[in-house]
Amino acid sequence: MMLCEGKVGRAYKIIGIEGGRGVKGRLMHLGIIPNSIIRIKRAAPLHGPLMLSVNGIDLLIGRGIAKKIVVEEV
Amino acid sequence: MRIALIGQPNSGKSTLFNQVAGYRSFSANFPGATVKYTVGKTYIEDELVEIVDLPGAYSISWYDDAEKEAIKALFSMNIDVIINIVDASTLIRSLELTWELISINKPMVMALNMMDEAKRKGIHINVNKLSEVLGIKIVPLIASKGKGVKELMVEAKRAQPPLKTNVYSREIEAEIHKVEECIEKHVKSVDMPVRTVAIKALEGFKSCLDMVLNTPCGDILKNARRKLKDGVEIERERHAGCMNIFEQCAKVSRIEKKATEDILDSVLMHPVFGYLFVILIFLTTFYIVFKGGSLFEGLIVSAFDSVNSYIESSIPFPLLSKVAGAVIGGVGAAMGIALPYLIPFFIIMSVLEDTGYLPRIAYLMDSIMHILGVHGTSVIPFVLGYGCSVPAVMATRTLRSKKEKVISAFLVTLIPCSARTVVIMGLVGYFMGPVYAILLYGLNLVVVAVLGASLKKFLPGISPEIMFDIPPYRMPTVKTVIIKTWYRLKDFIYLAVPLLIAGSVILALISYCKLDPYINSVFSPVIWGLLGLPVSLGIVLIFGVMKKELTLMMLYQALSLPTFSMVKDVMSPEQMMVFTVFVIFYVPCFATISALWKEVGIKNAIFITTGTLVLAIILSFLARVIFQIL
Repeated sequence: MMLCEGKVGRAYKIIGIEGGRGVKGRLMHLGIIPNSIIRIKRAAPLHGPLMLSVNGIDLLIGRGIAKKIVVEEV
Repeated sequence: MRIALIGQPNSGKSTLFNQVAGYRSFSANFPGATVKYTVGKTYIEDELVEIVDLPGAYSISWYDDAEKEAIKALFSMNIDVIINIVDASTLIRSLELTWELISINKPMVMALNMMDEAKRKGIHINVNKLSEVLGIKIVPLIASKGKGVKELMVEAKRAQPPLKTNVYSREIEAEIHKVEECIEKHVKSVDMPVRTVAIKALEGFKSCLDMVLNTPCGDILKNARRKLKDGVEIERERHAGCMNIFEQCAKVSRIEKKATEDILDSVLMHPVFGYLFVILIFLTTFYIVFKGGSLFEGLIVSAFDSVNSYIESSIPFPLLSKVAGAVIGGVGAAMGIALPYLIPFFIIMSVLEDTGYLPRIAYLMDSIMHILGVHGTSVIPFVLGYGCSVPAVMATRTLRSKKEKVISAFLVTLIPCSARTVVIMGLVGYFMGPVYAILLYGLNLVVVAVLGASLKKFLPGISPEIMFDIPPYRMPTVKTVIIKTWYRLKDFIYLAVPLLIAGSVILALISYCKLDPYINSVFSPVIWGLLGLPVSLGIVLIFGVMKKELTLMMLYQALSLPTFSMVKDVMSPEQMMVFTVFVIFYVPCFATISALWKEVGIKNAIFITTGTLVLAIILSFLARVIFQIL
């Protein structure tokens, strides 16, 4: 499934990222790397961005990007 | 000696910079870019050194414009020493940049900042061990409290190149070496260290890839990339290496729940209360900046006016006295904006920046701002635009992509500021009724949205989606807030005062030489021919570029009427509407133009200024056509 379909409060494992090198690289530097576990902390109303938590750090990711992140439930 | 501060966003770079080189610093644009860096000077053991504060970067392979300029500067600015500032509480992630910086092989020190926050998060770092493993000096730091700053500077002065530079496994190092050797032989004019180019080209980072691919080294690179699985091997090894270093040098005890942070977030980012807070904070900012500001603006302007009339009456030569008066008037206009509006605005802005609230506003406003063709971070310039375009344009500084910045700067100059509100209310609202005035505000928003969407489509460059980390809430310190306010103010004054003086002198000469009729006749094809406005309004619109509210104040004089209320006898509702539409959209005032120049560069400032003029002519002509059809 894609991260944008995930539920708030649940944890997911990153499987892969479909996207250009630039996006992939930036996500990696933010800690979104295959096999790492992330949690969706909250989602902004009206299809706004997602707030994620990875390794104790909070991130903000636009829905458009979340559409490209493949995850599975844990 | 020149020292560069480089680190990931939110690592406390600017805080450190302000502690070291605050008051005497100035900021400058990278050539041809909308991105800023700040330069300051300080003494380290009696030697004057230059400190450069570069924009935050996650990695050497840049993603946005700010990152790109930071990395390029690292190689082009003759940097002698690198201070890599690292947020200790996000050490795992930050180590990757450090790892990459080490490969540059320049004298380098790590400033391990936010030791207090790391401790709170349960991260215990063995600094000596980390320093030994990385082969660079490390100074622990709490920049916000100034702890460790002195030691850091002394270490920076004595910094040595990293002890270990070949950090990858033998297999990868062999490939890097091959490419490196070939680049050294065959590729000329590489503006980065050859090893960095080799690594980044192997990883497939486009800018470095392009440097090498169409050279004799292209085949070697392709082969090597195939062996390293398109470079993924390098990234994987670096990541694993950083994890390994972290595990060797840091212990994580049970992470305590950051209770206060979570509670604050659950209120400030709440789908209902969050928005209420945004509105509350905007209203408060607005109130303080503009209510407080207009109070002082009156005082300052009247003080300058009395100086002005004294000078004009005491200089016997009329031309000289007019010019002297105009110079004083220009300074007065700059001070009337800078002091009352910008000081409170810059203070509030710095506080909001330093507390970490801005990314949270971006979270809430992103989807709404998408309608205007920009992301959530642009909301602040927009709201400020209703008060004064100058701070609004300056607030685009927080945007990281050039395209996003140009779009936002363009759009905020179209938002009716308080001066234009005076015209809307004073002319359309007063003579035609408030409904028409409200209609104008609505029309304005529609135009802004349409323009924003089209600019997003047609301007070159990408406007990357939101993708950044949310810093924890932090207490801003008085010192950083004051320093930030001070050098932002200084920047504005240096640019705006000369421009306002020049403008005011030119206007004085126009009226002294009685050039108004000529100017009016030059503009009459547009003013009268196209828009059907009285010819004598040409000069009014010229003066309006100095200060927008002058278009209303000078209106009845230009029409040679004894009182303002008689305007309705000579101007039809159609003309009032056309005139007001024109005033809302045409050319930003001098102070705004100078802010645009400062923020987005002269080329974009000219583009925006001409764009607004074209837009104003089209829209006011449309207004005339619509009125005639109805």
